[in-house]
Amino acid sequence: MPPSIHPVDLINALRSKHLTPAIVFLTSRRACDDAMQAFERSQVALPPARQQAIAAVLAELVTQYPSIAEHPLQSVVQRVGVAAHHAGHLPSWKIAIEELMRQGCLDAVFATTTLAAGVDFPARTVIITQSSVRKSRDFTDLTISEVQQLAGRAGRRGKDLVGFAVLTPSPYIDLGVITKGLTGQPEAIDSQFVISYPMILNLLKAHPLDQIQAILAKSFAQFQLNRRAEILENKLDLLHVQMEPYGPRICTDWISQWQVFDHARRQKAHRVQVKRHESPELTARLQFLTPGRVVGLPKGRGIILRQYRSKGQKQPMVTLLRPGGAVTECPASTVTQVFDKTFEMAEAPVYPWCAPASLDELIRQADDLPVRMPILPILVQEEPEESQIVQTLNDEFPCPTCPSRPACQKDHAVALKLRQEVHRNHKMIQALRTGLWHRFQSRTEVLQQLGYLTPACQLTEIGEWARLIRIDHSLLITELIRADAFSGIEPQVLAGIMSSIAHDDDRPGAFPRISPGLASLLGQVRHLAESLEPHEDPPLLRADIAAVTERWIGDPTLTWIGLCRLTTMAEGDIYRLLARTLEFLSQIHTLRETHPGLADCASRAIKVLRRGVLEELP
Amino acid sequence: MTTEELETLLEEQPVNRLHRLARGRIHRHFRLGKRRLIEALLRCTPENRPGLESDLQALMQEPLPAPPVAAKERRPAGPQPTRPGSPRSAHPVQAGSIESAEPATDLTSFLEGIGVPAPQPFVPDAWQEEAVARLTTGDVIVSVPTGSGKTYVALEATRRAIAADRTVIYTSPLKALSNTKFTEFSRLFGPDKVGILTGDRKDNAQAPLLIMTTEILRNLLYDAASGEIDVRLDTLGLVIMDESQYISDPERGVVWEETIIFCPAQAKLLLLSASIGNPQDVADWLTSIRPDPCHLIRHNRRTVPLRAGYLHPNGKLSPLFRSVGIPHGQGGALHPEAKRLFAQYEEETIRPRSR
Ligand SMILES: Nc1ncnc2c1ncn2[C@@H]1O[C@H](COP(=O)(O)OP(=O)(O)OP(=O)(O)O)[C@@H](O)[C@H]1O
Ligand SMILES: [Mg+2]
Repeated sequence: MPPSIHPVDLINALRSKHLTPAIVFLTSRRACDDAMQAFERSQVALPPARQQAIAAVLAELVTQYPSIAEHPLQSVVQRVGVAAHHAGHLPSWKIAIEELMRQGCLDAVFATTTLAAGVDFPARTVIITQSSVRKSRDFTDLTISEVQQLAGRAGRRGKDLVGFAVLTPSPYIDLGVITKGLTGQPEAIDSQFVISYPMILNLLKAHPLDQIQAILAKSFAQFQLNRRAEILENKLDLLHVQMEPYGPRICTDWISQWQVFDHARRQKAHRVQVKRHESPELTARLQFLTPGRVVGLPKGRGIILRQYRSKGQKQPMVTLLRPGGAVTECPASTVTQVFDKTFEMAEAPVYPWCAPASLDELIRQADDLPVRMPILPILVQEEPEESQIVQTLNDEFPCPTCPSRPACQKDHAVALKLRQEVHRNHKMIQALRTGLWHRFQSRTEVLQQLGYLTPACQLTEIGEWARLIRIDHSLLITELIRADAFSGIEPQVLAGIMSSIAHDDDRPGAFPRISPGLASLLGQVRHLAESLEPHEDPPLLRADIAAVTERWIGDPTLTWIGLCRLTTMAEGDIYRLLARTLEFLSQIHTLRETHPGLADCASRAIKVLRRGVLEELP
Repeated sequence: MTTEELETLLEEQPVNRLHRLARGRIHRHFRLGKRRLIEALLRCTPENRPGLESDLQALMQEPLPAPPVAAKERRPAGPQPTRPGSPRSAHPVQAGSIESAEPATDLTSFLEGIGVPAPQPFVPDAWQEEAVARLTTGDVIVSVPTGSGKTYVALEATRRAIAADRTVIYTSPLKALSNTKFTEFSRLFGPDKVGILTGDRKDNAQAPLLIMTTEILRNLLYDAASGEIDVRLDTLGLVIMDESQYISDPERGVVWEETIIFCPAQAKLLLLSASIGNPQDVADWLTSIRPDPCHLIRHNRRTVPLRAGYLHPNGKLSPLFRSVGIPHGQGGALHPEAKRLFAQYEEETIRPRSR
């Protein structure tokens, strides 16, 4: 059994069941191209009438997009009536495939999942072969929304009575992800608001500082944070009600008072009993060896189930759950590390000191402990002299003779817990309500330090033009301009630098050689990017990528095919690189008032860049 | 146990048992097929081999919850060489005997009704009409499934705005999509009525309908806020944001928020979105920051009914679920045939026939 169905067989199977036209979503561009090649080798040929229909549609598109005429796949598509559609293709070619699909000329399109978002061409059937997608460097499971976006392309309104989403297995499939995606509710969306430097400059250009907080409060981010804060505020109200019986007593702050007193008293008692046996390190540690705590042992790790003292020696002991589920006992002194990690567990009065359901959960967690866990910082205190404590107790605390003492003693544990809860909630609410504003402030400080803003948060002369650069890595670009890195620069070198800043893909490949001038400038850019690293993530700054753009701008006679031959990049990727470079250059062009020379250089680069296929689309 | 013996034993195990064995041993084991899972198990455990073996023995004592393989593990444990290429008859799963009393659908009913509907005059759906109508009093968010006809709402709203001498801006997340819409809208409204703006080009920028990416609009709004008006925003009557579920895009989502926050008060906002989980939140947000209340249009009905199927690599087709349609919101009980075929797939892909 082959791991997945052969593409030609797949389309034949679909044709025979009247399930075409279909979109077949595959894991990679490579898989799409392989599928096309399989068709190229096959004997499949459409009836002449259908081939003519395809030719007619393409011929009409050629007037607007001349590059379609010379596309190497044109004749295959016409013969077999299927096509590939992915980011490695030129936009004009993708437009052609989309139009063919809309007009019903094709039986199938092999596409990557990037198609799912944005481009609209539907089909009768959608074939799903995978349950995860590559996102940055890792594969992640498709979300419910994503599955529905894929499957949703099936069934064209007005052209189909019913649509089909068909799953065919490959080694990359998890059936559960797909069925959940098909039957579930799409996920809720969350704000991804970030405060960027250009945002700050543009906000402060148009609004005085005292209005900014109110403007940030209008974001969806703050709206969602407020929602969360409101939930906590309701909880806080409840806590306040619960706190009512524990208001001021003879001491206003009796909770703290009792806490200190109790602590002092315990230390005293504790000292008398155990002083001889235990080191201060162990004593300090004991209060953290509570049920649910993860600890390190000479061999492996474990989760504390209970702490107790041995019968004869009164040694401190712990009962531990070890990975694999074994329950063991050992002296507390054998614990080598106390981790900053505790699990919830339901304690029980008898062996294994933990409720059965809770134990199962713990065993699972014990087996699944992260490799690294933070160690809990434990402060070892030199213990005060015993006489001192007795003294303190009598001198400093009114508690021993206070009439409220029994009540305080009884209520203290509950009251303290409530009060801590109140504090925690307060802090979280504050963070939710003001977090965005604080982030704005800390980024504003950077802009002040670098001289874009005055101490009063007004735009400096530099800030005035810098706010027009509204792209990723804006800080690097404006700093380069300030450092005069671009003075007297050639258009192809400027374009080369911009594309190395714009390009964020680290796929390797073969590329043309870079000129010495561009190489040395790129070194300077790298240096500056590193120094800005605390404020802005540095771009990849690939020299090979810069060289592609340098060639295209530097030699206006170079043809598109000639450029493609110089590198192993797919032409869709080269196109995207140049289109993005163009965007960056047009931002530089907006500086024509303050930096006429540079703006002019950018505009010359744009003029040369916009030729051939790069002229076909606006 | 030698490595070969262990390998053979692993091969005989049903996949879900292997997954249980892999838990905590192999990162992201659930995305591996059976063959790769076995390889990973053998690779990752040279020093923990005894642990793996004893866990395997323990798991083999337990009955399995999943029915398609239930018949298997009553076999005596121990190495049993598989005959490569021999047909496997180890799955005597009785179709339909497991879950509910209701019989599972068959392929004939699953494939019934394929075809092209008779041409009908265009009649807008009630929700489409409502969306257009609601725009007269405030902003509108439309969150409906893919392919429902959101474009009609955009078109009709644009038509009305232009008729009332207002300008319209239509934004999409991708240049490619902008371009498609530019062609489509030019055909509908006439080329003189539609313009497109990109970073370096302004084609027909004085037209009443302007198409651009969301980033370009955001920049326009920033320029307008600082007094450098580029395109006439005072006559702006409607801003349409297509694919507005992009607001949750990790890199670019912020641009959608900025655009919405700075969208001129006199212009109405029309947000078109695929189905999302919390469109009401977005509507509430808009209501809280915009002059007029925002109306939410949402539904989850597919206009063209959707069915889900399973296609085996040998070309055999089966419904994926027990029901003809997709059982929304109910775990989704698999069709016994699809289940059997998939289990067979996982079993058979462990050894390519060529070996
Ligand atoms: N009321 C209607 N009656 C019949 N057909 C309609 C109706 N409304 C829209 N359509 C058709 O439905 C098809 C899909 O519409 P459209 O492209 O607007 O969907 P969409 O909701 O924008 O989908 P997507 O999520 O892919 O962007 C179009 O071919 C359109 O002509
Ligand atoms: Mg649409």
